[in-house]
Amino acid sequence: MRGQGLRIRTLTTVDSRKWLTVILIAAFGWSLASVKWDSGTLHTGGLSAVGEILGAAFTPQISGGVLKLGIIEAWTTVAYAVAGLTVALVLGAPIGVIASGVLARRRFISVINVGWARLVLAFFRSVHELVWAWIFIVAVGLSPMAAVLAIGIPYAGILGRVFAELLQDVPEEPLDSLRSAGASEWKVFLYGRLPMAMPDMLSYTFYRLECGIRAAAVMSFVGLGGLGHQVQLSLQDLDYGRAWTFLFFLIALVALVDLWSSMVRRRVSA
Amino acid sequence: MIGVDAPVVRVRDARPEVTPYGPGIVRYSIVLAMILVVASWIFIIFQSQNQGTSFLSIDSAARAWNFLTNDLLGIDQSRTPAFLKGSVWRDIAPLAYDTLLMSVLGIGFASLVALATFIFGARNVMTGDLAPYGGVIWRLLFWAVRGLFIITRAVPELIWAFLIVFIFSPGILPGAIALAIHNSGVLGKLASEIVEGLDPRPMRSLQSAGAGRVQVLFYGVLPQALPRFITFLLYRWEVIIRTTIVVGFVASGGLGQEFRLSMSHFHYTTVTLILIWYLGIVVLVDLISAGLRRLAR
Repeated sequence: MRGQGLRIRTLTTVDSRKWLTVILIAAFGWSLASVKWDSGTLHTGGLSAVGEILGAAFTPQISGGVLKLGIIEAWTTVAYAVAGLTVALVLGAPIGVIASGVLARRRFISVINVGWARLVLAFFRSVHELVWAWIFIVAVGLSPMAAVLAIGIPYAGILGRVFAELLQDVPEEPLDSLRSAGASEWKVFLYGRLPMAMPDMLSYTFYRLECGIRAAAVMSFVGLGGLGHQVQLSLQDLDYGRAWTFLFFLIALVALVDLWSSMVRRRVSA
Repeated sequence: MIGVDAPVVRVRDARPEVTPYGPGIVRYSIVLAMILVVASWIFIIFQSQNQGTSFLSIDSAARAWNFLTNDLLGIDQSRTPAFLKGSVWRDIAPLAYDTLLMSVLGIGFASLVALATFIFGARNVMTGDLAPYGGVIWRLLFWAVRGLFIITRAVPELIWAFLIVFIFSPGILPGAIALAIHNSGVLGKLASEIVEGLDPRPMRSLQSAGAGRVQVLFYGVLPQALPRFITFLLYRWEVIIRTTIVVGFVASGGLGQEFRLSMSHFHYTTVTLILIWYLGIVVLVDLISAGLRRLAR
């Protein structure tokens, strides 16, 4: 009997995966067919632009002035990202703890708290950081704080959700032993849940720093500084070589953060 | 498994050493992080004072409130707000559909590139213990692919779009390609890490039974890796749909283009309507993705 049930389940899994593949390919095919493919798809001279842009990647401008500017703008980008991430942590971590529902004792109150916390987090993260930035700047005026808040709010939504899930995923057995020793839910949280979830929370925060640097780099679009600003200016001058210099600064920044985070990650989760 | 674009992948590391860095690395990292936080905030506060406008003040709170009620919600205006007109709703609908198409096209291209390359970016298959013939060429290919992943991933979609508009005419295609370039790096890296984290035993037993490189790939690696790749791909779609509007600012397609136009024409109630449509398709994509992920299980 049991073997039979098992066989039926495997069959449906394989079946539903097949359906999934069909659905995904059909959706992609449909969207491909919706694009107007004709001579107007490419700009006239678009192909030579490909060559110029790719060629410029091998001949970036490396004069002293450009490099100095690159370092200054790279720091601006990092500062926006780090400040934005601190806002995200201060805002997102407490809401995330509430959304995880691990501290609640009474079921009714816990459902309400988890509900509003999740809704707030979902709202924070559904709007892209650049859209937030644009709205802030139109509403209040051009200020670096707009970029910081614009990065901080959606990232709070993301960090909060991930922290909530990590806190829920902690294995229950060690927590039960704390409880049976008379620990309150708060103590279980402080001495059990939080330390156990910490490595994954830390590595996810690091990953978000990397995303924050990218997000800070595009804040130029709404009129703020940073590496994206210089890329934009260089492209307006059709100076692809200089644009690539700043792109390489961005790539190096992201690679550095990636290296740092992988070093820490391998240490804490080993 | 954690949601939101890059699930924390627990990688079974292909490299032999378990803890290559001493406990000092964590301590130094915390100190460095604190220095960065303090320095960044000093810089930000200094810079915002230079700019003259104080962002956090009663004055700016009043301005923000005015913008929200008067401009976005159109409460004090004589004209009917755009989001109360059925005709404008109908005008925006095809743009929302275009945005959806752009995101599907973007993730489709990105997956194709990632599927074609991820195997070359997996350390264990290329140079590690699963590559008994691992020569110099394979090593070079591995680093080339990894380098490509880093470059495409490090540059955000919007900046790729700045470059792409020199090549393609405005529309949903350039936006989709900008999305695809960035996300092929993201998906490629994730897929490579999936392969690096695979249980090596099925692959080894295939090898010891005499299977060649290609056979190990098709019967050992792909059956384990592909279902997880599809899950990641769907998670990533949820992120991409949020970015599609931003790419549309530059590539002139879908909701993003209309958002930019309405902003610069001060048609703020239309902006509100676009944001409503935007939130709508974001929620829709989250639901579809969750449903499809259930199929993948």
